[in-house]
Amino acid sequence: MSIFGEIIGTIRRVSPLPLLTFLAVTGALLLFPPLVDSPYALHIMILIFLSVIMGESWNILGGYTGQYSVGHAAYFGAGAYTTMILMQFREVPPWYGMLAGIAVSILTALIIGSICFRLRGPYFVLASIAATEILRLTALNLKDFTNGAEGILATDIPPLQFGSFLVTDFTTKDPFYYIGLVFALAVIAVTWIVQHSKIGYCFQAIREDQDAAHSLGINPSLYKNLSLAISAAFTSLAGSFYAVYIGFIDPTTVLSLDMSVQIVLICIIGGIGTIFGPVVGALVLVPLSEALRSNIITQGLITAGLVNEDSPVGQFLKENLAHAHVLIYGILVVVVILFMPDGVLGFLRKILTGKRRKAA
Amino acid sequence: MSAILELKHVSKFFGGLAANSDISFAMEPGMIKGLIGPNGAGKTTLFNCITGYYPPSRGEIFFKGHPITGLQPDRVCRLGMARTWQKVRPLVKMTVLDNVMVGALCRTNSLAKARNIAMEQLSVVGMEQKTHFIAGGLPIGERKKLEMARVLATKPELLLLDEVMGGLNPAESEEIIRLILEIKARGITQMVIEHDMKAIMRISDRIVVLNSGEKLAEGTPAEIVANQEVVDAYLGESHA
Ligand SMILES: Nc1ncnc2c1ncn2[C@@H]1O[C@H](COP(=O)(O)OP(=O)(O)OP(=O)(O)O)[C@@H](O)[C@H]1O
Ligand SMILES: [Mg+2]
Repeated sequence: MSIFGEIIGTIRRVSPLPLLTFLAVTGALLLFPPLVDSPYALHIMILIFLSVIMGESWNILGGYTGQYSVGHAAYFGAGAYTTMILMQFREVPPWYGMLAGIAVSILTALIIGSICFRLRGPYFVLASIAATEILRLTALNLKDFTNGAEGILATDIPPLQFGSFLVTDFTTKDPFYYIGLVFALAVIAVTWIVQHSKIGYCFQAIREDQDAAHSLGINPSLYKNLSLAISAAFTSLAGSFYAVYIGFIDPTTVLSLDMSVQIVLICIIGGIGTIFGPVVGALVLVPLSEALRSNIITQGLITAGLVNEDSPVGQFLKENLAHAHVLIYGILVVVVILFMPDGVLGFLRKILTGKRRKAA
Repeated sequence: MSAILELKHVSKFFGGLAANSDISFAMEPGMIKGLIGPNGAGKTTLFNCITGYYPPSRGEIFFKGHPITGLQPDRVCRLGMARTWQKVRPLVKMTVLDNVMVGALCRTNSLAKARNIAMEQLSVVGMEQKTHFIAGGLPIGERKKLEMARVLATKPELLLLDEVMGGLNPAESEEIIRLILEIKARGITQMVIEHDMKAIMRISDRIVVLNSGEKLAEGTPAEIVANQEVVDAYLGESHA
């Protein structure tokens, strides 16, 4: 009760400028679908929202609590599989599937946490990878339950209706856009509340020095598990959303190490342990990976007249650069990590404060 | 008067090494107990056993009459015993104020209340001007004071200070001595590990001497200085 009152008090004290900016951006995002009538643009936006949810979720555990899980695919996959299994094989609407997924993910998180949190630093990282690999192999082999390597294809999504009032039948991208937006805002709000409460202080104290925190009355195992549970719940939400939106899941996408790394990168690229770091990470990574996938580099070289489309070089680039997008993506990520240790957001901040200092 | 802290036959082994062996003593409330001994005597290890950083291999520890042997550090802290670290452990990326607030949150769930407690303790150690500095950027003298403010914010009845004057210049040490005496005046019991003999003789009501993990002697500062065994084992070398 007192904590709740305190949060309200803190919200009241927020300075109006950031709040107004936030509201303005939210308003613009609400108007985006009717104004920009392009399914591809909506698709990109939906992927950005998805990345924001994934990045913010990981940020609570990795950024604020300092526990670098490289196994968050476990919770993404748990959400995706729970939702899809219930929807396809039991005809349960995804809304309930999503909630069930959260429950399954929190349970998984507490089991994984009780094992992995005994370890610290690099040992924790390895344990988190191992635990998720076990889940991936389980999903691969429990064929009767998960359809194994074939994965699960969503045939049709039950429409969302209240009584006889049809809200949406999910035939366009608009409902996914708005649902994604609401989820992304929700997880940003939760991060904000965590940061402005006792819980956030305990998380950060553990991140800075677990033994010092322990000696100051903080129970590390309680707060680490709490942090993981919150993180897993929202990662699961992202997994459910992904499954229903893309309409297909299999162990090598939703439960892979690749997915786990992807989730971590959103934070590292954007800026770890800050509210808007993952948003920046998503804004950088999603368009980048889409551009590379659609071979924008070759297109650019050809339009710039540097390479003739019909020459052997042009042919080679057209053939191969699209497949090399993972490689280029990887190189760019390494460059960002090397030159912007605090992420893009930290880098921008440094430039801005540097300029201000010079001006003063 | 009943003891605030009582150790009964406490031992701690690291493999074959007895870092503490069969140590017993009691502490009267409101007093300052000095804990001295050569490097490697087992002073820090004893603090670690008392505060639950690791359980003692043998023996029992009582705080305010309750057994606390093997209790986790967070529970010990909430019972009213706090410690500082020989090698200071600031929460480096957080501000000075946030560091002390973490200590204060041990007694309250409200950030506003924690902020008040933290400001109070920061002014006790004379750091109220530095609240928004990042802890990682402080010089050693201020890190030590920050560490003191942070444990004071947990509202302890018993404070264990591990070489809070280590690495400080004479002026800074003098400030810490004044602070320790001020804390005593507020009725908080303290156990102080210190290598500076002048300082420890001045502030302690009683002194325990450890040597090679064993309790060599216990008594008033005057008794300790006059103890031939202690002079041979420890004081002798620092006077030589
Ligand atoms: N975690 C540990 N594992 C193994 N040995 C340890 C451990 N901690 C301390 N020791 C050993 O126990 C002995 C006592 O160490 P301790 O740190 O308690 O000494 P100290 O009296 O605090 O010394 P100093 O005055 O140098 O701080 C030393 O020989 C040390 O090497
Ligand atoms: Mg020591």
